[in-house]
Amino acid sequence: MIKTIIVVGGGIGGTMTANNLVSKLYAEISRGEVRVLLISNSPWHYYKPAFMYVAFGAFYKEELRRHQASLLRPEIDFVLDQVDNFEFKQSRLRMRSGATYDYDYLVVSTGCIPSPERIEGLQEAGDHFYQHDPARKLYEKISTIEKGRIFIGVTFPKTPNVPHQCGIAPMETTLMLDEFLRKRGVRDQIEIVYTYPTISQLVRNCLFLQKQTGEVLPSVFDSKGIIHKRSFTLASVDPERKVAISEEGEEENFDILIQTPPIRAVDAVLNSGVSQAPNNEGWLPTDRYSLQLEGFENVFVMGDTVDLPISKAGGSCHNQSPVICNNIAGLMRWGKTVAEYDGKVQAVAQMGMDVGMPLWYDYDVDVIPTPATKIGGLMRKGFNRGVYWSVARGLV
Amino acid sequence: MTHQNPETSTQTLEQLLECLPALKNEATQAGLADLLDKLAPLLQGRRLHNIVDLLAATSDVIEMTDDAMLQKLMALYEESIGGVWMLTNALRYASAQAAANSTPPTLWQSVKKFNQNEDARRGLDVVSNILAELGRQSAIKGQKMPED
Repeated sequence: MIKTIIVVGGGIGGTMTANNLVSKLYAEISRGEVRVLLISNSPWHYYKPAFMYVAFGAFYKEELRRHQASLLRPEIDFVLDQVDNFEFKQSRLRMRSGATYDYDYLVVSTGCIPSPERIEGLQEAGDHFYQHDPARKLYEKISTIEKGRIFIGVTFPKTPNVPHQCGIAPMETTLMLDEFLRKRGVRDQIEIVYTYPTISQLVRNCLFLQKQTGEVLPSVFDSKGIIHKRSFTLASVDPERKVAISEEGEEENFDILIQTPPIRAVDAVLNSGVSQAPNNEGWLPTDRYSLQLEGFENVFVMGDTVDLPISKAGGSCHNQSPVICNNIAGLMRWGKTVAEYDGKVQAVAQMGMDVGMPLWYDYDVDVIPTPATKIGGLMRKGFNRGVYWSVARGLV
Repeated sequence: MTHQNPETSTQTLEQLLECLPALKNEATQAGLADLLDKLAPLLQGRRLHNIVDLLAATSDVIEMTDDAMLQKLMALYEESIGGVWMLTNALRYASAQAAANSTPPTLWQSVKKFNQNEDARRGLDVVSNILAELGRQSAIKGQKMPED
């Protein structure tokens, strides 16, 4: 009897995991005992972190996407369809096309969806860079503004100790924005205000979701004339008055509002009824070590869909993927999981248009900030322009 | 150019070192002493200069690398890695399929398979196009060029 492993999601987590599963289980696959399917609702694979660069006119759409099938090993069956329902108890997927797929093992890597409509007025008056079209729209604004006030804010999920998408991105874009406006020669006429909400995972009234990094930020921002403000949790936006209103009762005017929006899981995950997350955010209850969906031994969750206190970013997937592959192999070969995720995430933060800072952290140790360097910047650019695709192919 | 008294300059160096708290640490001093032992022959033979020159050249390359150069280098990287990956995938997958048959197909069966399999025909077309392109480039190389 052939065992079927299905990976749902054509983002970086799903793509690298499908490729890594073929490597790990090649003996079984070549004997015809195991087959691997990857299901995605898009024929394209997007390098999502590059949307941030689109907002600064530094990346074209054609440069940040590849045909999904071209990134998969030939042993993987690629299915272009959308999951409508996860029937975890029956180990079955119901698809938009009407098809059903039964599985022996499932990897859920369906990402998250930016949802600015969840804050009153934000959809109409706010901007963000977490998707291509909004990032293009933001570029049109910041490349033409001559004077005024750019207000930057961050929205965290309501689920306790769960981060927003890519924790470092708001800080990165603030520093890039400062440099971008200086190059345009309009920085003196534009006020940049960086704000952070009162509750950000386990820290309170800080400028970043990890205390040590939050403590070095004021001097970095001061040196660039960036105004910084704690405890501004966006409650609503008045598009007519161009005012952001906080839960703390303050009002701030803006000419451009760059707000990291609320996020939620995809519809099929929300509809599964398994999530216990508040505010209908849909994060799946995930074992922090084995990465199994709680109550379902044959289902694994990774990337943005988990309810763990770990960055919703590709750097998390990169470390979760080998754990999941090892655990599926362990269950198939030895009847038990063998690997544990330690919460490791690594990345190179873009600390300006040309400099970068390599960073890493895990469940126990936070990021230790280091000075940004040009070599760090080259590492990040090299990753953006080439190494990423090797990561997706499971080569790095 | 002025020459300082060696005694004065040593004293100045000592004063400078006194200002660095890290150098008052015993482990740091022991580590530095070990390092100096290793470096001494390189310094004496002027061979450390090459390492410094190498560092300077590396640093120059980093300074000179701009967005355009980096994009070209990474495109080369991706095309190379992606190309090798595609070819090795095809080779491994095709070998595994061939090995799965206990008896290889007859020539007639192979031809029939070619005829029925669109991907196989397309693959043959790719090979044919590659050969045509190689031929075109060979023809260019073989052309007699007029003198300027």
